[in-house]
Amino acid sequence: MKPQQGKRRGWIALMILALVASLAAGCGSKADNGGGSGGNAAGNEKKTEQNGEQPKTVEITVWDKPAPDSPLRAVKEEIFAAFDAAYPHIKVIHADETQTREKFMAAVAGGEQPTVFRPSYPDAPTYIQSGIVADITDLFDDHPEKGNFNEGALSVVTKDGRIYGVPNDMYATGLYYNKKLFANAGIAEPPKTWDEFVETAKKVMAANPGTIGFDILGMDWADWHFEYYVWQAGGDLTERQPDGTVKLMFASEPAVTALQFYKDLKWTHKIVQSNVLQSYDENSKDFYTGKTAMILGASDQFYGFVANGMNPEDIGFAPYPVGPAGVGPAQTGGSFWAISPTATPEQREAAFEYIMFMMSKDVVEQTLQFQVDNGLGVNPLTVRTDVDMTKYAGSMPADVIDAINKASENVQLEYFLKGQLTPYVVKAIQKVLLDENADPRAELEAAQELAQKEVADRYNQEVLSGNTQ
Amino acid sequence: MSTGTGRHGAAPRGGNLQIRKRSRIRWTPILFLLPSVIVFIVFKYYLIYSAFHISLFNYNIVHPPGRFVGLGNYLVFLKSSTFWVAMKNTMIMFLLSVAVTFWVPIVQALFLSQIRRANAFFRVMYQIPAVLPVVAGALLWKWMYNPDRGLFNYLLGKVGLGPYGWLNDPAMTKFAIVLPGFFASGGIGVLLYYAAIRSIPAELFESAKIDGCGPWKRLFFIVMPHIRFVILIQFVSFMSGALLAFDNIYIMTQGGPADASLVVSLLIQRSAFEQANFGMSAALSFFMFVVIAILTTIQFKLEKEQ
Repeated sequence: MKPQQGKRRGWIALMILALVASLAAGCGSKADNGGGSGGNAAGNEKKTEQNGEQPKTVEITVWDKPAPDSPLRAVKEEIFAAFDAAYPHIKVIHADETQTREKFMAAVAGGEQPTVFRPSYPDAPTYIQSGIVADITDLFDDHPEKGNFNEGALSVVTKDGRIYGVPNDMYATGLYYNKKLFANAGIAEPPKTWDEFVETAKKVMAANPGTIGFDILGMDWADWHFEYYVWQAGGDLTERQPDGTVKLMFASEPAVTALQFYKDLKWTHKIVQSNVLQSYDENSKDFYTGKTAMILGASDQFYGFVANGMNPEDIGFAPYPVGPAGVGPAQTGGSFWAISPTATPEQREAAFEYIMFMMSKDVVEQTLQFQVDNGLGVNPLTVRTDVDMTKYAGSMPADVIDAINKASENVQLEYFLKGQLTPYVVKAIQKVLLDENADPRAELEAAQELAQKEVADRYNQEVLSGNTQ
Repeated sequence: MSTGTGRHGAAPRGGNLQIRKRSRIRWTPILFLLPSVIVFIVFKYYLIYSAFHISLFNYNIVHPPGRFVGLGNYLVFLKSSTFWVAMKNTMIMFLLSVAVTFWVPIVQALFLSQIRRANAFFRVMYQIPAVLPVVAGALLWKWMYNPDRGLFNYLLGKVGLGPYGWLNDPAMTKFAIVLPGFFASGGIGVLLYYAAIRSIPAELFESAKIDGCGPWKRLFFIVMPHIRFVILIQFVSFMSGALLAFDNIYIMTQGGPADASLVVSLLIQRSAFEQANFGMSAALSFFMFVVIAILTTIQFKLEKEQ
């Protein structure tokens, strides 16, 4: 019995050891290069051995690989190949560009931050404060192309004179309106003031039964559009102080005026959709299907409406109607190229070369031409000041191009620290849109008090103590 | 006391004791358990420790760990009214989940135990809702709940009811989020309860019938006591799932409208990925771990006393 038992035990022990060993091997193996580890401080430099004068090969990870079904995939791959040919010593590992902010933060927390990535402008203050983006002032200031970028876009990525990124794209927002529905109501021009806006919506609804005058944005991005009304009322939701701290102004008169206007649109004038919490995409759908006469939108949405079946001749764009303060600035948004602060000096330089190649006049124009040749439509705004966008207008009517350019003359950035304050502002907006008895002032005061305690105080303390988080 | 050879010719007593001591350590089960223990330690206990460690810092994800704040993160959220709103919502939704969904697999198992024909077919049918991905299910329900174009208001309108706000109505949104669980509560729980019911000796039912016990009395005095332990285990698992519910709330409402469906798990996600405040996020996570651990302990203690 005993020798057999011993033999059996031996086999069992061997099986278990094999299982444990394979488990350990599986846990210990590195992840595939989907997320990449280009920001690894140890770097991935390989010395070429053939010629001592050849530059060292540097490997960088860039989150800019288009999705398999992206209409720009072909031109992007051409551009990637052109870079590889021009810079053979820089090995670029491209990873999915559609990865979300959550995946990005997880990558940063896990030490897998990509060398190059493209956050949105509203994230810039948080990322700069948290040290998630590298200071590239020395690289940018020495570059011959530094004067060819839109000042407004550059200001987003600049803090205290230091530059933390290179603008990638930009859009301006304004009022989209359905020219056909307007014409049915005998209206030729878009509204220019708040009062005209309300009257126009009512007339259009009366002349086109079953349509909505204006689709309001009340979902969890509600503050994105609401801030425009605060600007139109002469204020803003926050103010960045000279020392870098934030001052909350949710309960200021312009903000209260704006929220009262929102409330009136819903409960007094009754010109908005009943489902005020529907998504941004559903608002867009209402517009391109002709269910709503007006929505707020970005200049790069025009061809999205066309792609969904709307006649380009029916799409109108106008700067925002001005509010009580007599102003109606557009919001500028977009994304910027940033470099990981954990990149080695060689990776940093290689990353910057890559960024400036991608943002060179030739490459930008190559992409624009591809879009025009393939009927993809073009955002009429660009961050490069030396690119003539009139060559790439496509089917966009001249009056729309003019309106976009006019809107972009008076632009404002989203309110400071928006990325962290959104939930507080949105709560106040939703309360007012869902409850006829809600008091805008009380809601905004409550929101400000909470946001002050839970976000602003901590942020200001970090700024004043000089900590990057 | 004899010190000679044992009854079966074994070695003297002192030598037997040594052999018995050696053979008491059974290595085979230990070695079999070892991989899962290692996995548990690495992927559960180490992470719990790590979360607690991170929660003690104003955590810097680029240059970890950042500034030590001790219990500062805990004090901040305990003094925050947003947190208490989220905690209140979490408990309300937990209680709603118990009322609407927890008992469904038990009832399904009772039905199954009563039918012979097509028993296997129904066992499979009860599994199907549980294998549908949570995100796909949440999106479908979100569309059905649409106040303007959703299926529910359309059907209710046909019988003269509604329209209702559903996810847009702060008073209804919690119930609307929990309701899909009623239809998706099958799954492995049904099989566990069914197996427990089937293990009850048939003689008990027969003697109960002979003694004049009706079906309800048989249910409460025979079936329920026999499956009590399975109910306890299922409830512990259900409780942590309900208190940490995230996917469907994130898809359907993102915590709105006006924080009516804001729960602690959403706060954890917001702190980490929107505010880059990983220390706070870890503190909230560890706090929930402690809450669930305490509730589980109370549950087991109550069961023991019974």
